Amino acid sequence: MNDTISTPPAVRTEDLWKVYPQEPEPVEAVKSLDLIVEPGDFVAMAGPSGSGKTTVLNLLGGLTRPTRGRIWIDGEEVSDMRDRDLARLRLERIGFVFQAYNLLPVLTALENAEFTLLLRGTPAEERHRRVMDLFREMGLDGLEDRRPGRLSGGQQQRVAVARAVAGDPALVLADEPTANLDTATSAALLDVMERLNRERGTTFVFSTHDPRVMERARRLIHLVDGEIESDVRRDAGAVAP
Amino acid sequence: MSDDPVWRRIAWRNLGRHRGRTLITASALAFGYLAAVLMVGLMDGMNAELIENGTGLMVGQVQVHAADYLPERNMHRTIGGYEGIDLAGFLRRLESDPDIVAAAPRLYGGGLVSSGDQTLGGVLFGVDVRREGEVTTLLSTLREGRAPRAGAFEVAMGSEMARQLDVKVGDQVVLVAAAADGSMGNDLFTLAGVFSTGTPALDASHVLVPLPDLQYLLAMDPGRVHEVALTTTRPWDTPVIAASVERSLSAFGPPLRVRPWTELRPELAESVELMGSMNWVIIVIVFAMAIFGVANTMIIGTFERRKEFAVVRALGTTPLGVGKTVVYEGIFLGVLALAAGAVVTGPVLVWWHNRPPDLSGIVGGFAWSGSMWRPILRVEYSWDTPIVAAVALFVTSVLAAVYPAWKATRVPPADALAD
Repeated sequence: MNDTISTPPAVRTEDLWKVYPQEPEPVEAVKSLDLIVEPGDFVAMAGPSGSGKTTVLNLLGGLTRPTRGRIWIDGEEVSDMRDRDLARLRLERIGFVFQAYNLLPVLTALENAEFTLLLRGTPAEERHRRVMDLFREMGLDGLEDRRPGRLSGGQQQRVAVARAVAGDPALVLADEPTANLDTATSAALLDVMERLNRERGTTFVFSTHDPRVMERARRLIHLVDGEIESDVRRDAGAVAP
Repeated sequence: MSDDPVWRRIAWRNLGRHRGRTLITASALAFGYLAAVLMVGLMDGMNAELIENGTGLMVGQVQVHAADYLPERNMHRTIGGYEGIDLAGFLRRLESDPDIVAAAPRLYGGGLVSSGDQTLGGVLFGVDVRREGEVTTLLSTLREGRAPRAGAFEVAMGSEMARQLDVKVGDQVVLVAAAADGSMGNDLFTLAGVFSTGTPALDASHVLVPLPDLQYLLAMDPGRVHEVALTTTRPWDTPVIAASVERSLSAFGPPLRVRPWTELRPELAESVELMGSMNWVIIVIVFAMAIFGVANTMIIGTFERRKEFAVVRALGTTPLGVGKTVVYEGIFLGVLALAAGAVVTGPVLVWWHNRPPDLSGIVGGFAWSGSMWRPILRVEYSWDTPIVAAVALFVTSVLAAVYPAWKATRVPPADALAD
């Protein structure tokens, strides 16, 4: 008898649909998506604009409700969760990185990065230590007291990544994180995220147009019109649906 | 652990993001505070004027009578009954009360006042001239002549009565009145002065006679008076003082009633109460106007930050957390406005109280509820109005934040992030 306890997938969806009720016809942004992302994976979702990448991330993060289908995050079904429980799930298990950084302008870089820890009620000393460790890892030390308006795009995005991973989430959802960055800054940011993935085991799911991100993803999913067109694992070939 | 410190920090700093907007909104609230406190102060000033004129001219703040004197005003129902009292001793006893500043005895009679062919009915108002001046302002309204002297058979009368009798200072008039012994008292008096109170009914009907002379005319002993008017240390607290004086006089002998001006001039008391309730209306109107302005500004601010609300929701904030930050903004705005309002209102109130604009050069005064009101924009301040207005301001700023806060909690994160 097998007595090992199997780890649940970081993400699992089953027949996931998102339909926007628009005139003259409803828009099917995501169609019957069946997806499994294993813990510690580094997945890029590519596809043309309107292919449903951002909608999938929003669905996985509980920022929008599916029209139909089910979603599990870290083994817990989230499809029918109440707003309050979804907020708790995001706070404890999911980190977000946005294309436009979306740091809170009234907080300093340090305060932005420790935002989720503040919400969790982590003691100040531990909060400070964890974020300062991240800042050192990401080359942000010395910028702690700056407001976002006084940081470059790359610095802001690194602070956003620090914010996303400061609470050690199981899953980081990143919506086109390099879209607004130059080549060198993008590469540096990808280095940071790869290292976090490797060293902390954090699962990353990106949406991207950026070929450099696609190259570095271990698994590349192509979405077209809300459906998976291809799903390729770079280290082991195509993933069975 | 509560996440409130985060929301308070964000709320406070958000106020600094649009300093101009915050300044204007806080100024509007602060001005609302100033306006509410000043307008209530003006109403209180008008009330104080009405009370002072309504009681200060003749009534006095408190009156002592024989228990059965009012309301019939039977001339035989003097204090102490037919025997009267040791008036000097009674007045001393009253003035020994720490709440009593001065006491003035009075005697009333009804009679006819004649000069030449003219005769008018009038109220003969017997007073101790020196003491009356300490209790009411009637003698200060003498426009011609002087106060009548006791023992000289002199009188003062209202200007309208003097006009109708066609008499002037120095002329003689005849007073005829039913005396206490059933005879008709009549005597010749010299008009020593003419008063003009501004209250037409009073000026047309009252003849002021020194107390001993009226007692003589009415065949009454020197110890017989109908009334003792009192001035107290706390005019606003006269019901309490009157009750206390009445208790202290309970062992005096014949039963006495001690009435505050609120019982003696119920119509004036009702007017004052009505105007007092207007204070609430003023506060409600001022802050109801302010609430829409503040809410509008906060709604705009909330709309501008839709994306930020979506971001914090994505990071794990509950809708309640988002709402909290907006409500905290309202609270901080209220505190700022209150501080500014208090700083401005205090000096303005003191200045206005001490230098009230006098509009008598533009408009005349008028009588209301039998009391003269001068067109002087006097402001009175009390401890409670600034506190009530402060609470109203604070409630306004919080209420103004409630709807924007609710809107903020309803921001759909995915839609707002796509904006």
